[in-house]
Amino acid sequence: MRVKYFANIRPLTGCLELEWTTPAQSLRELLQGLAERHGEPFRRRILPEGRLSETIIVLVNGQHILHLDGLDTRLQPEDTISLFPMVAGG
Amino acid sequence: MYGWVGTVLRVNLTTGRITKEATDPQDAKRFLGARGLGSKVFSDEVDPKVDPLSPENKLIFAPGPFSGTFAPSGGRYEVVTKGPLTGTIAASNSGGSFGPEMKYAGYDMVIFEGKAPKPVYLWIKDDKVELKDASHIWGKQVPNTSDALRAETDEEAKVACIGPAGENMVLFASIMNDMHRAAGRSGVGAVMGSKNLKAVVVMGTGAVKVADPSAFTAAVMKAREGVKNHPVGGAGLKAYGTDVLVNILNETGALPTKNFRDGYFPTANKTGGESLAETQLVRPKGCYSCVISCGRVTRVANPKFASSGEGPEYEAAWSMGADCGVDDLDAIVKTNYLCNEYGLDSITLGATIACAMDLFEAGHITLKDTGGLDLHFGNAESLLEATRLTGQGEGFGKLLGKGSYRLAEAFGHPEFSMSVKKQEMPAYDPRGVQGIGLNYATSNRGGCHVRGYTISVEVLGCGAKLDPHVTAEKPQWVKIFQDLTAAIDSSGACLFGTFGMTGEDFAAMLTALTGVTYTLDDYLKTGERIWNLERNFNLKAGFTNADDTLPERLLKCPIATGPSKGEVNHLAEMLPEYYKLRGWDENGVPTQEKLKDLALV
Repeated sequence: MRVKYFANIRPLTGCLELEWTTPAQSLRELLQGLAERHGEPFRRRILPEGRLSETIIVLVNGQHILHLDGLDTRLQPEDTISLFPMVAGG
Repeated sequence: MYGWVGTVLRVNLTTGRITKEATDPQDAKRFLGARGLGSKVFSDEVDPKVDPLSPENKLIFAPGPFSGTFAPSGGRYEVVTKGPLTGTIAASNSGGSFGPEMKYAGYDMVIFEGKAPKPVYLWIKDDKVELKDASHIWGKQVPNTSDALRAETDEEAKVACIGPAGENMVLFASIMNDMHRAAGRSGVGAVMGSKNLKAVVVMGTGAVKVADPSAFTAAVMKAREGVKNHPVGGAGLKAYGTDVLVNILNETGALPTKNFRDGYFPTANKTGGESLAETQLVRPKGCYSCVISCGRVTRVANPKFASSGEGPEYEAAWSMGADCGVDDLDAIVKTNYLCNEYGLDSITLGATIACAMDLFEAGHITLKDTGGLDLHFGNAESLLEATRLTGQGEGFGKLLGKGSYRLAEAFGHPEFSMSVKKQEMPAYDPRGVQGIGLNYATSNRGGCHVRGYTISVEVLGCGAKLDPHVTAEKPQWVKIFQDLTAAIDSSGACLFGTFGMTGEDFAAMLTALTGVTYTLDDYLKTGERIWNLERNFNLKAGFTNADDTLPERLLKCPIATGPSKGEVNHLAEMLPEYYKLRGWDENGVPTQEKLKDLALV
């Protein structure tokens, strides 16, 4: 699956996006795997105390996970997952 | 008075007569200032059917109660008039420090009437107010105008002026203040140009009195902390500016692309706030009393577009970027500079060129029509040249200067204009975000996002988290956003304060500042009163519920690619409920009961 990072998430990962090939059934599994790869600063920002940070926006194929099944959202190999900090403007 | 400084300045440009009046305390209490009080005075004094570019139209500059205080981001002012682009009442909002300076000079409002027989500017230095000859600066761009006027008045003076676009009465000309800040939308600059008024220059040494200084200080400090501790208000906007929105709207599938032919732009990342921060950003910049600093001081090193200035904001980066199919950020930044220098609304400018590109690709206009300008989507050089032609009023630019609706209509295809009430919609595709479509359709100044920014709850998750693809609950949210925004605009505060401040925070600050008690309900009701006042003006101007709509493309043509592929906007599901919630009849006319409830009859 394709994982894309934006804004101040990018410096925590050192990349704009990556292809994730390790099997991950759910978003929770994927984020835990990503935290293993990117290290502690990423984990603290995305999954503090094992919960998804309230200031992170996660989209799966463009849909906010709050309108899916949150961390339990099931993933498919062809999915695109986008991680944003809370941003706004206009 | 507290909060208000108590004096309205009236300038008859035809006769040169300048008079001073007391600010009406009852109207001030009920309509606050800026957009609200300005619209109250305007609708009392001007026939809604007035030709916007005639001497009978009036032009009002008005800060609000917060302007000039240390309330967070309390540096705004509004320009109220009848807009030549839309034919609706127009209130264009700007930051910088011009609004506060008006208060320090002692004025809650300046009303311009008539038309000067030759180019003039108004020089206000506290009590001393005079009209001065502007023949020597007529034709100059905004930076040279601003420099020249400060040199001949006071180096510390604040300047609001028009550039060549306003003089040429481009229908989307802006009024620029502090060089880079714009009262941008609806063509307020064209009204200024029609009156031969080149600039307003102001210098003040007074102050804004506060009713309860200790309560005001406490309320302000609480509000500032709220903003500083908010992930958006406190850090996000300063780091990346508003252009950070490019990527999240694109990833949601709601970034209008190529004149809304699509809602997804594959190379959008090249035009986003992250790229701007890496390549062109010199430093962030805030307006008066700002705790956010979303402004961008920028520089383009690329020799092809080398220049320096400020911006772009998200809306400009989108209109000149994805909407035109351009992903060259250097060209976008340079085009934005041209808008600031000529005095053009950067949203309508980009969206009008996008419309021209769409007409060109469809074969409805040709190289013969454009004077040889290749208007294929993605052509960055043509984007710049089209902007220059519009600002100068040359060749094909004369047609572009009428906005997308009149341009497309001239070639027999008005359906190519992505506008509401002839004003171009901004950077959120209503097919991918349902509620913003209802807001566009019902906005009192036509296509506009800052009249009811439901993107906060539909996409960004600030305040609430609604599914952007459903219509349920959207009418009530649109109403709440529209009413709250009308109150905030009329207070002289920046909308971005809502990224950390609550409605209660605004009401508490206003109460302590003015000595007039405003609960949250009072504050929202004030916003609703202003909304209905504007609506009534537009109805009297000839608008009907048939104008509360969206371009057919958004209602019938699904988004072609990306995450919102297949979506259209379902306006018809939302509009009747919206009218009902507003207390309007099925034709969108406010009922007598509603007007009585709002004390508007």
